[in-house]
Amino acid sequence: MTNINGKAYAMNAITPMKPWKTPILKLLFFLLGAIKPLQKDLKNLSFIHFARWVVVGRNQFPHLSAKQPREELRYDYLLFFSNFNGTWNQYIDAFSAVLSRGLNLIWRWSEKYPGSRPVTEFKRYIALVQFDTDYYYNVYPRAATNDVKAALRVQDALDQFALRSQSLSPAEFKTAWLELLVRVQPDLGSTGVAPVGT
Amino acid sequence: MANQSGQVYGLTILSPIIEDNRLDICHSMDLRWYLGHLPRDHKSPFARISSTYLARLVVMDDVVYVGAPACEEHLKSRYLIFETNFDGDLDAYLTLMARETPEFVEAVWKHCVGYPGLSDLAVFIAYMKKCQITTTFYFADVNDRTVQTSLKALQTQSALARFIEKHQGQPPAEIQREFGALLQAMAKAPPPVPGGDESHRMPQEDRGHD
Repeated sequence: MTNINGKAYAMNAITPMKPWKTPILKLLFFLLGAIKPLQKDLKNLSFIHFARWVVVGRNQFPHLSAKQPREELRYDYLLFFSNFNGTWNQYIDAFSAVLSRGLNLIWRWSEKYPGSRPVTEFKRYIALVQFDTDYYYNVYPRAATNDVKAALRVQDALDQFALRSQSLSPAEFKTAWLELLVRVQPDLGSTGVAPVGT
Repeated sequence: MANQSGQVYGLTILSPIIEDNRLDICHSMDLRWYLGHLPRDHKSPFARISSTYLARLVVMDDVVYVGAPACEEHLKSRYLIFETNFDGDLDAYLTLMARETPEFVEAVWKHCVGYPGLSDLAVFIAYMKKCQITTTFYFADVNDRTVQTSLKALQTQSALARFIEKHQGQPPAEIQREFGALLQAMAKAPPPVPGGDESHRMPQEDRGHD
């Protein structure tokens, strides 16, 4: 079991849903995908590299051989996979505090979902429906998603500056260099291991 | 399509795992053992599948029973979940997997029902697509760059921070000259290593679960 690789945590969760509720949830996800401002809070949290929700219908589990028994399920299942920075507790706390309404809209169709507040019951539910990762790969284990975004801003600024830097006089270079420093200063934090927390 | 966000593709695969009661070690246990010993850093097979950001492999033993009044039910097969986030096109990614990491693909998917092997690439791709579940909603925080661009940017950020610290307070002409040398050095620098290096890990990185 290896839910963590560097600064990223791999979370997996599965919840049962009555099949008649699935189209409603799919419609909500369609709206969330189509109306970008609805993703603002998710984007602003800025500690999720990638996340996805996958609805697996009760007849949709792959059946690839006559020897493989067919599933006979009464529920559809909602799978949730997230790649986030920080600890499990920080993640669930932030979800509950910032995305409470959005989470309730997504998971209220799942059986016995208690709501995202109060957070104690929410955490108990997530712990129940979560299952562990057996293998986790991270291309940049020492970088959080904020680190990646900061580095890309630095790269953009440097690329623009580099084009003209060598043709400037020393006086012009001094001014331009200071402008570059002011521009990139907030994004120069170093990457490394994450602080330990629970 | 929900499998994509910008230029990032989110692939979700559920491959049924072979059940064979005649074996001393069942397929799911053997698979877990293999995955538990697979390198997770630059020696990972995913470091060779160079368009991969984050990927996971999970053996799902069963669905979860959340308690009454919900009904209790169970899966008849275990499933291997393969969740990966990568740049570009699905066919190109699966081709890269087959070509760059055949021993890894073989070692993992030989435990799965209907795995056809890698002798015919088109058949392998068709098999993986049969196991694919369409993502209902996909979120990617950075979805307009490539893996290599992001790795290079992290390398640049680190180099520039060190340069600024080292040269602060020096005359502009000297900084300008040294900066030109920095640009040349960065242009010649080897590409950043994907996956990091676990031999340089610190103790606090070895947290199993919290």
